[in-house]
Amino acid sequence: MNKILRKKIVETITNGGEGHIPSSFSIVDLIDVLYSNHLKFDAKDPEWDQRDYFVLSKGHGCMALYVVLEKFGFISQRDLDNYGKFEGILGGHPDRTKVPGVEASTGSLGHGLPIAVGIALAHKIQEKKNLIYVLVGDGECHEGTIWESALVAQNLKLNNLCCIVDSNGSAAQILPHPNIIEQWRSFGWNVLTIDGHNESGIDAAFQSFKTHRDLKPTVIIANTVKGKGVSFLESHGIWHHKIPNPSELNDIIQELDR
Amino acid sequence: MRQTFTNEMLNVGLINERLVVLVGDISHFALQPYAKACPGRFYNVGICEPTIIGIAAGLALSGFYPVVHTITPFIVERGFEQIKLDFCYQKLGGNFISVGSAFDYSGLGVSHYCYNDIALIKSLPRTQIISPAMPNEFIRLFHDTYQNSFLTYFRLPEVKHEFPIPDENIELGKAIKLRDGNDITIVAIGSQLKSVMQCEKGLKKIGINYELLYVHTIKPFDYQSISDSAQKTGKVVVIEEHAMYGGASDEVMRAICNLKNISSTFITIPNEFVHGYGKIEDHYKYLGFTAENVIKNCKQLLKIK
Repeated sequence: MNKILRKKIVETITNGGEGHIPSSFSIVDLIDVLYSNHLKFDAKDPEWDQRDYFVLSKGHGCMALYVVLEKFGFISQRDLDNYGKFEGILGGHPDRTKVPGVEASTGSLGHGLPIAVGIALAHKIQEKKNLIYVLVGDGECHEGTIWESALVAQNLKLNNLCCIVDSNGSAAQILPHPNIIEQWRSFGWNVLTIDGHNESGIDAAFQSFKTHRDLKPTVIIANTVKGKGVSFLESHGIWHHKIPNPSELNDIIQELDR
Repeated sequence: MRQTFTNEMLNVGLINERLVVLVGDISHFALQPYAKACPGRFYNVGICEPTIIGIAAGLALSGFYPVVHTITPFIVERGFEQIKLDFCYQKLGGNFISVGSAFDYSGLGVSHYCYNDIALIKSLPRTQIISPAMPNEFIRLFHDTYQNSFLTYFRLPEVKHEFPIPDENIELGKAIKLRDGNDITIVAIGSQLKSVMQCEKGLKKIGINYELLYVHTIKPFDYQSISDSAQKTGKVVVIEEHAMYGGASDEVMRAICNLKNISSTFITIPNEFVHGYGKIEDHYKYLGFTAENVIKNCKQLLKIK
């Protein structure tokens, strides 16, 4: 569990006065391991044609992506400091028209996976080796386009596509999935299940996708905790879209420093 | 027009390997020559229009020129958010080619009628709207636009206007003056040029010397040609198969709104759902897309009894 990136997430969101802290905490370890150990990229040349792609479909968790992009040099600390400002490049949802390294503008749920399917198809047509990763939420899996895309991706045998489901229990608060693992399996995908905060487990899942691909797309069901790392954030309540006051910020930082 | 479209995909696909055609389970038989000639670049994706549009955006992001083709309400109304966010906001180029606008599927009822496609697409930044009603109009304007960075919407009609216009007179964003006159300006949009052509004798018989402008491109719109003609005649009749709100008629109003002493009338689809079925001619008759109604509107504006 990466505490340094979590602190940066909280500080940036508090400074900007906008954002989703628990949603970012549930996915930051997944994104960090992906960029650290697996994704091919060149931060100095974000459009490098040999790169792998990462699409954050659940756009409201974007601060987890921003801090990773800053860690690897796509954007600067100054960009993070300007988060949420009118003239800044970083806002409450990721924007490919402004942010180096963001592959698709997302926000409204259910858009990123179809776009990722299109990117994967484009690379199949050209017989290119690039890999396409996309991260969706389990609540986002209520959207019809997720299952339309899941069906299309298996039909097109897009084995260059890896979808990560942030299974943080959001769906269960509203409209539970009967069995999300079996749902993806029944749609014809390779299914892997991991603890989405265990770095070695995350690493092994991405490695498995890269080395054991048959003619199916792969989905990694990552069991995560919304707000993981700070006890009072670990819930589905008021903290979903709440900005900490100075006292609460202090409490969060103290708990992360323990 | 649909055959023209499928033929043209073959022609363009053979010369440009970045053309990819995605359909929502229509025209797949007609597109087989293209599919065979351009392997790996034709997909009958399925009955999942929003996802088709998202996939097309992913293809555009990766350097392809996607063509999305299905029935108008499914492409425009169901997929509107995908058009807005996946294409227009992200500054991606794409070609959306619909059949079944207005009441072209005349016997299938309101689920397959679409009166407001132009209004919806026009409302989004970075869009172009083309309403070709003869084969060479589609061919010419598709060639001119399919590689640009706009979302270009082609509304293919069931009925052609049947009036031959030379290729060299067809230019994106330019109205075409088909007749000079001083009494009144008639603006015909897309296939409704046919209704206007059918009233030629009737208008001449009662001595109306009309000017006729034909519009195939609704966005970008040729405000200047409309304005110049309206200034000359002082009277404007518009006929278009679209809802009364948001279509080309609104652009005509913008063209003439700062001119003095202009009177105008608009033959459009009123703000109501049409519950009827029948043939397309039944819809024409019910809604007033006839030569008789064009003449009637001209006479009213000119105060001829």
